Parts: sequence; structure tokens; C-alpha cells
Amino acid sequence: MSNEKQQVSRRQFLNYTLTGVGGFMAAGLLISPIRMAVDPVLKESSAGDLANVGLSVDDITSEPQRIDWSVDQVDGWYESEVNRSAWVYRNEDDEIVAFSPVCKHLGCVVSWEGSENHPNEYFCPCHDGRYYKDGTNVPGTPPLAPLDEYEQEVRDGMLFLGDARPREEA
Amino acid sequence: MHKGKGMKFVGDSRISAERKPNIPKDYSEYPGRTEAFWPNFLLKEWLAGAVFLVGFLSLTLAHPSPLEGMADPTDAAYIPLPDWYFLFLYELLKYEFASGDFILLGMLVLPGLGFGALLLAPFLDNGPGRRPHQRPVAVGMMLLGLVSVIWLTYTSASHVDWESRAEANKPIPQAEVTIDTEHPGFASYENSCLACHGNELEGGAGPALVGMDLSAEEIADIAVNGIGSMPADQFTGTDEELEQLVDFIIAVNESAE
Amino acid sequence: MLQKIYDWIDDRIDITPIWRDIADHEVPEHVNPAHHFSAFVYCFGGLTFFVVVIQILSGMFLTMYYVPDIQNAWKSVYYLQTEVAHGQIVRGMHHWGASVVIVMLLLHTLRVFFQGAYKKPRELNWVVGVLIFFVMLGLGFTGYLLPWDNKAYFATQVGLEMAEQVPFIGQQLKILLAGDATIVGAQTLTRFFAIHVFFLPAALFGLLAAHFILIRKQGISGPL
Repeated sequence: MSNEKQQVSRRQFLNYTLTGVGGFMAAGLLISPIRMAVDPVLKESSAGDLANVGLSVDDITSEPQRIDWSVDQVDGWYESEVNRSAWVYRNEDDEIVAFSPVCKHLGCVVSWEGSENHPNEYFCPCHDGRYYKDGTNVPGTPPLAPLDEYEQEVRDGMLFLGDARPREEA
Repeated sequence: MHKGKGMKFVGDSRISAERKPNIPKDYSEYPGRTEAFWPNFLLKEWLAGAVFLVGFLSLTLAHPSPLEGMADPTDAAYIPLPDWYFLFLYELLKYEFASGDFILLGMLVLPGLGFGALLLAPFLDNGPGRRPHQRPVAVGMMLLGLVSVIWLTYTSASHVDWESRAEANKPIPQAEVTIDTEHPGFASYENSCLACHGNELEGGAGPALVGMDLSAEEIADIAVNGIGSMPADQFTGTDEELEQLVDFIIAVNESAE
Repeated sequence: MLQKIYDWIDDRIDITPIWRDIADHEVPEHVNPAHHFSAFVYCFGGLTFFVVVIQILSGMFLTMYYVPDIQNAWKSVYYLQTEVAHGQIVRGMHHWGASVVIVMLLLHTLRVFFQGAYKKPRELNWVVGVLIFFVMLGLGFTGYLLPWDNKAYFATQVGLEMAEQVPFIGQQLKILLAGDATIVGAQTLTRFFAIHVFFLPAALFGLLAAHFILIRKQGISGPL
């Protein structure tokens, strides 16, 4: 009886040691690869630099206008110029507002007065999504959030734009 | 296990309804000091594996994997070398009887015979005896092959100056170098150095000037007095121009960091 | 809890016999280093397999960063080595593993050879083993080109010229490998990548499975 009991505990001991050694090997093997794989998650984003969009603040009116500019983008080992665009206007409080043209519904591109039926609104041709002039989504149309707004700064009378940030729900 | 009528299944599947007890076999009654694979022997194997892994990871940490400059098909000065386990083939092809008119002998027949014999060893050496002295021919051939492969690998590797080779082929990150052609030292560089050291200091006939570990005085000294196979008096301007040249080279090096 | 999950699964697919089959086999005294230290020579085969596992794992993770394209291959490897945390180590594991696996294979082969362990009835397993050796050399050769550095480029060119010397089919063989009659370039790299990452590993898995099944079927060769 006692002999049998010992047998079981010996086997259990072997199994525990086996798990321990196996775990050690797996950890030694996987620690570097996994650290490498999650590296992008832990890396600080290099984004956030503001770029000159080539538009003088004096030219910004209360009528939204589309501007296009390009930024240098470093994507790992690949560097490229990517094009961006924005709808810029001056609101009632005389503040400059720059909206991202990416529809909050499914990512199509919206345009100001893009539809004859909906004047004074941003219109998305994909699913007839609409936004008011201040970027707020028109209730009852597909988008559920207002248009993203670009980070902005005015330096020497020129407009500088950064990354698009979502606004709070209107 | 039951067969035929007595069998019971899980539902309408073909899985037997009778469970096999999850207990390892007892090998203590077997003749000799036999051991169960799981967990007794596997534990020993894994202990050996863990020690091996520690050694392997130490090797990896101590010697970073080498990476040479990006492939440049126009680099005529480059002497290709295969990985060490192909060096014996590489060396074999240097011998007279294995190259030129005999290239097929050196490239196909000899390695073909060697690897073919290895593949078919059990059919060539088909006697009943397993001990090495019971099959002198097979063991002799194997030893001969082994010694010649080791010898060829050794002769091939001993000719190579591995350190200077690694030094000459350091990777240079592309496009990270900014060349300021307005720099006062650029004109001197263009006149005296560019022909050998390249438009972007990337090297050519001479080594790359990016990523050097030299002080300003040392660079100035080399420009005037030469070093290694570089002759003296490559630079023949005034002292002020020399200073500007050194300034330029250091500025480019800093831009590369 | 775990026991319950196990029982639930076992009840449905009867897994106990499957893994018991793998776990329950006897290891004779003469291969056990605990009894005779000289039996450590029997470890080489297992260690070879261990390095193969290291190679598969590190290789899988390396392809997260690597691109088989002549414009970007070198840049991606350089980026991986210099910018990515532990990238240097993972590439090191794959690089050194490639050498260590050849060493281990060689030692394992020599052990089997000098013990005459390939004699009847184990001839076929030896043949499978030598084929694994060839596949491994092929993996070494094709993996060499992938970083697209000078060493890779020129060594591959030499290898392709050797292929061209083969009588009758040399030219075709070279084009098959390089993807182009004269250029060693973009098409060569993608071909070598495919061979290194899909074709040869697939062959390796099949051969390894055959190797292990044969060992279990025939048992390990007896003491000399």
C-alpha cells in the first residue's frame, strides 16, 4: 500500500519536473521571437509631426475647401510620400477647422456639397452618409460619429496639420 | 479490446464506449533496465536539451548574425564564398582534375559518388556484422571521405582572412547619408577622394568612409600620407582645405548616425 | 476542472490511446546515458530535431518582417537587425541554427554509420535520413540568398553556374532555379524564397514523419 503511494508521487514529481523543464525550454525559445513580434505594439509612434500644407490662413474662408498635401512616411524599412487631404474652413467663432475626408461609416471619402440634393452638407457617395458643416453627422444617415479633425497649428501665417483625431460624440 | 457483437460505441460514432485507463505501462518487469519514455526518459532528454539550448542562446548572443552590404552585382572586387558546409565542394573545384575540362568530374561525379554511396550505404554494406571491424571497407571509405571533406574545408577556410573580410563588407545603410555639396570641403573631396571612395563615401576602389572610427587628425594624416594600399599625397591642397575636407567627411559621418 | 475537460474530450474522440501510444514505449538500457554515459551519442538525433524546431519557430517569426523583393529584402533585414528589439537575436537563432543543425545531423549520421545501425531491417530509415540531410543542405543553400547581401548574391551566382554545368539539362535547370536565363535578380529571390519557406519544409515534414514512424515501428537498434 505505502509502496504504491510512493509510486504515484514519484510519477507526479517526474511530471512536474518535466513540465518545468519543458516550460524553461519553451520560454528560452520563444522569449526573443515574441518580444520581436510585439515590438511594433511597444514602439512609440513617430507620428504627430505637423506638416505645412501650403495654405495661407488668409485664404481660408467660411466656405469649406479641399486641400491636398503630402507627408514623408517612414513605414519600417520603407519610406514614402503619402498624400493626405482635408476640408478646411473658418467657423463662426473665427477658428480654423480642418476635417478628415474619411467617412466615419465605412471609410469612403466625403466631399462638401457632394450631392445636389443636400446643399451645405458633407456628403459620402457610398451609402449617402451626411454631415453638417461643423462635421457633426446628420442623424438618421449611416455615420454614427462626427468627422475626425486634424491637429493644427498656424506658423508664420501658414497652416500646419498633423494627425486626424476623432471628436467626441455630438 | 472487445471485438464484434460485444462492442459498445459512443452514440452513432465509431468511438468505443469503453475507456482505456490513463495509466502508464509498468516497465519494471521488462528484462534489463528498461525505462518508460514518458516521463522518465523524456525528462533526461529535455534536461540535455535545456543545457544545449542555453549553450545555443549564448552562442547567438555572443556572435550577432552577420549581414554584409546590400547585393551589388557590379562589385567586381568581391570574392564569393559559400557557407562553411559547402566549402569542401568549393575547394574541390580549385583542383586541376576537378575543374576546366574535368569540371564534370569535380562537380558531379565525385560529389555524386560520395553522396550516392552515403544514400545507398545499407545496400552497399549489406553483410550481417554491425561492428566497425567486421566491415572494414565501408568504415574505411567513410573515414576516407570524412578526412577528405575535413581537409578540403580546412584548406579552404585557412586561406581566408575572415576578420578583414567581415570588416570590408560591413553593411552601410543606404540613403541615410546626406551629402552637402555646398560644404566648403566638398570640392576638395570631389577632386582628391571621390574617384576611389565614391559619390556618397560608400567606397569603391578604396573602403567606405562612412562608419569609420577615426579622429580628425587621423583622417587628415591618412589623406596626406596614405594608409595600407592607399598611396601618399592623394590630397595636395592647402592646410585650410585639408581642414575643410576633414570637416566634410566628419559631417557626412554624423549625418549617417 | 482540467480533468473534467479532458474526460469530456476523451469521451467523444477517445484521445487516451492516441497519446498513450506516443508516451508509452520502452527506452532500453543501452541508449540511456543515466546507465552508460557513452550513450550520449544517442542524443544527437533528438538534438537535431530540437534545432529543427528552433529553425521553424525563428523562421516563422522572421517572415513577419522579411520581404522577398530585391529592393526591400536587404533593407527589411537591416531594419530587423538594427531597429527591432530582439530582432538581432531571432535572426541569430536562425543563422546559427542553420550551422548547428548541419553539425548535429553529421554527428547523428556518423553515430548511425559506425554502429552499423542501418543494417537490415533499417535500410529504408537510413535512406529517409540521408534524404533529410539533402533537404537540409538545400534549405541552407536557398536560405543563404534571402538577405540579399553581397555574400548571398555572389554565392548564389556560383551555385547557379554550377547547376548550368550539368550535362544536357544544365541550362534549363539554371533557368528553373533562377527564373531567368541571365539575370540573378527579382525572380530568383522569389523562387528561392518559395523553395526555402514552402517546398523544402514540406518535404522535410514528410520525411521527418516517416523517420519517426519507422523508428517507433522498428524500435531502436540493439547494443553492439
